[in-house]
Amino acid sequence: MPPVEKERIPVFKKWRYWYWLVIGFLLFLIVLFYLFTKHFA
Amino acid sequence: MNFSRLDWTVLVFTLLLIIVYGVYRSRTSKNLEGYLLSDRQLPWWLVLLSIMGTQASAITFLTVPGQAYSEGMRFVQYYFGLPLAMVVICIIFVPVFHRLKVFTAYEYLEQRFDVKTRLLTSFLFLLSRGLSTGISIIAPSLVLHSMLGWDMTFTTLFMGGLLIIYTVSGGAKAVAYTQQLQIIIIYAAMFIAAWWAIKMLPAGIGITEALHVGGKSGKLNVITSGVTEHGFDWKDRYNIWSGVIGGFFLALSYFGTDQSQVGRYLTARSEQESKLGLLMNGLAKVPLQFGILLIGVLIFAFYQFTKEPAYFNLAQERTLRQSVNAGEFAAAEKKYLQVQDEKRKTAMALGNALKQDDATKVNQLRTQLQQEQQQATQVRDSIKNIVKKTIPGSDGNDTNYIFLRFVGDFLPNGLVGLIIAIIFLASWSSIAAALHALASCTMIDFHKRLSKTPTTPLREYRWSQAYALIWGIFCVVVAQFSYNLGNSLVEAVNILGSWFYGTILGVFLVAIFMKRVGGNAVFFGAILAEAVVISVYSLDLLSFLWLNLVGAAAVLLFSGLLQVTFFSKSSKVEPRVAIKK
Repeated sequence: MPPVEKERIPVFKKWRYWYWLVIGFLLFLIVLFYLFTKHFA
Repeated sequence: MNFSRLDWTVLVFTLLLIIVYGVYRSRTSKNLEGYLLSDRQLPWWLVLLSIMGTQASAITFLTVPGQAYSEGMRFVQYYFGLPLAMVVICIIFVPVFHRLKVFTAYEYLEQRFDVKTRLLTSFLFLLSRGLSTGISIIAPSLVLHSMLGWDMTFTTLFMGGLLIIYTVSGGAKAVAYTQQLQIIIIYAAMFIAAWWAIKMLPAGIGITEALHVGGKSGKLNVITSGVTEHGFDWKDRYNIWSGVIGGFFLALSYFGTDQSQVGRYLTARSEQESKLGLLMNGLAKVPLQFGILLIGVLIFAFYQFTKEPAYFNLAQERTLRQSVNAGEFAAAEKKYLQVQDEKRKTAMALGNALKQDDATKVNQLRTQLQQEQQQATQVRDSIKNIVKKTIPGSDGNDTNYIFLRFVGDFLPNGLVGLIIAIIFLASWSSIAAALHALASCTMIDFHKRLSKTPTTPLREYRWSQAYALIWGIFCVVVAQFSYNLGNSLVEAVNILGSWFYGTILGVFLVAIFMKRVGGNAVFFGAILAEAVVISVYSLDLLSFLWLNLVGAAAVLLFSGLLQVTFFSKSSKVEPRVAIKK
């Protein structure tokens, strides 16, 4: 088995920050799209 | 359609630019590592553009604006599960693939289970990707057939031939570098098309009024719950729940286990750069798709103020006018023009009322516009029925032609050529990656794995090129049978993917999370799961996005059950490779 290297996470120190970022971003988009739909309906 | 000399010049120049650039960047080692993985030397931003180019086929740019035009923008919800899936793939799949230095995703399954499980999943991939790539090849042919009147068979062979030459001669490096240029040209051209639609709106009607007209006609339905008066509609294709949950599993399977995507991020110079490319794709995808759909709404709004074709497929419209049903079509078209006339007046009045901020009048005109839109839809449906009964094999769906008809009828010379060029670029971008993936799996998972004859790196390189050629021919043949697919092409490709993606994903999830399950259990579990998916689809129990979830869950369930019942003693229960979580 090849030696296991220490995993490097892009930009942040922990994966949990990436989870927060994408979930937050997605929620932001959903709210934005909802308001967009409502505004022009 | 008037395809001027300037259009031809722009088209030929753009296609030549891509081919020359691809050949220029294709110099790489003449071995499997060089041809299939570009010597694992690409930076993250190139991986990102390559991932985006692979996913965004010509179908995306042909039919997605048309979908927004006919059904509204709710299709964007299909991508809601993608960002989260990118993070999960970076944590679970990417480290495993990089650590084992695999060429294909399915190699890992042999190390974890056994050779038959690897071959089964690789075969399912070859089957689904081979067929869907064939459907994708038809997209640019539709352009030339409908707009220039070229013969479908000739066009497919001509375009497929160019594609095969370009793909077989260039390696993964050429694919990635051309995708970079293709994506930039594509998005720039789409932006120009959107700008042109806004520019052509009548005096006094700006983008805000255009969006109000689209919104009040029900085309800006970006967020939908899928809940009707009878409860949640499981057959509703695009809503927030099917998008987040079904879309998550689809993206997990597509980016984590589909070789056409895995092969893209394995070309990165490090694990870190693979992950960054995927994560950035997760953040960019939804806004970009929203933008493409918005073009469809702007085109819809534009047509509310000008003469809108009753049927958008120019070639079929001509056939209809010369058929025995020409009189019936003419009557329906006349009725459509009358409804359209009323709609135009209402849309103009709505624009003025919005400017005067007259809420009462806006409400009244909204209701009127919605009623007229319903009438217009009914008349268009009756025209589609005339098409169906007149032209054998046609389903009367003109979604694929809406954007093209707008381009041909209203965009200026030169820009028409550029839009036609981007259809080809987008097509080449995704199909080149797919053909490379098909060649990779055939070479690595079947030829190299099963062959007992010693060979040289140069011969392996030549074999890979030969497989790319064979798959190219196969896809061109499939394309010949795809012309009259039901619904739009993009849905046909997505539905096809959903038949197999869930099962393939399920096998990978068992490999990573169910360490006590061995090869026999997962192999037979996958076969049973595939039978369940096909049955659920055939019985029309669920919308296709849910099939990804059903397939993955069924593999987990059947594998677990088979392991504890039939294979508890016969299978190995420990993985050969430790998976870091």
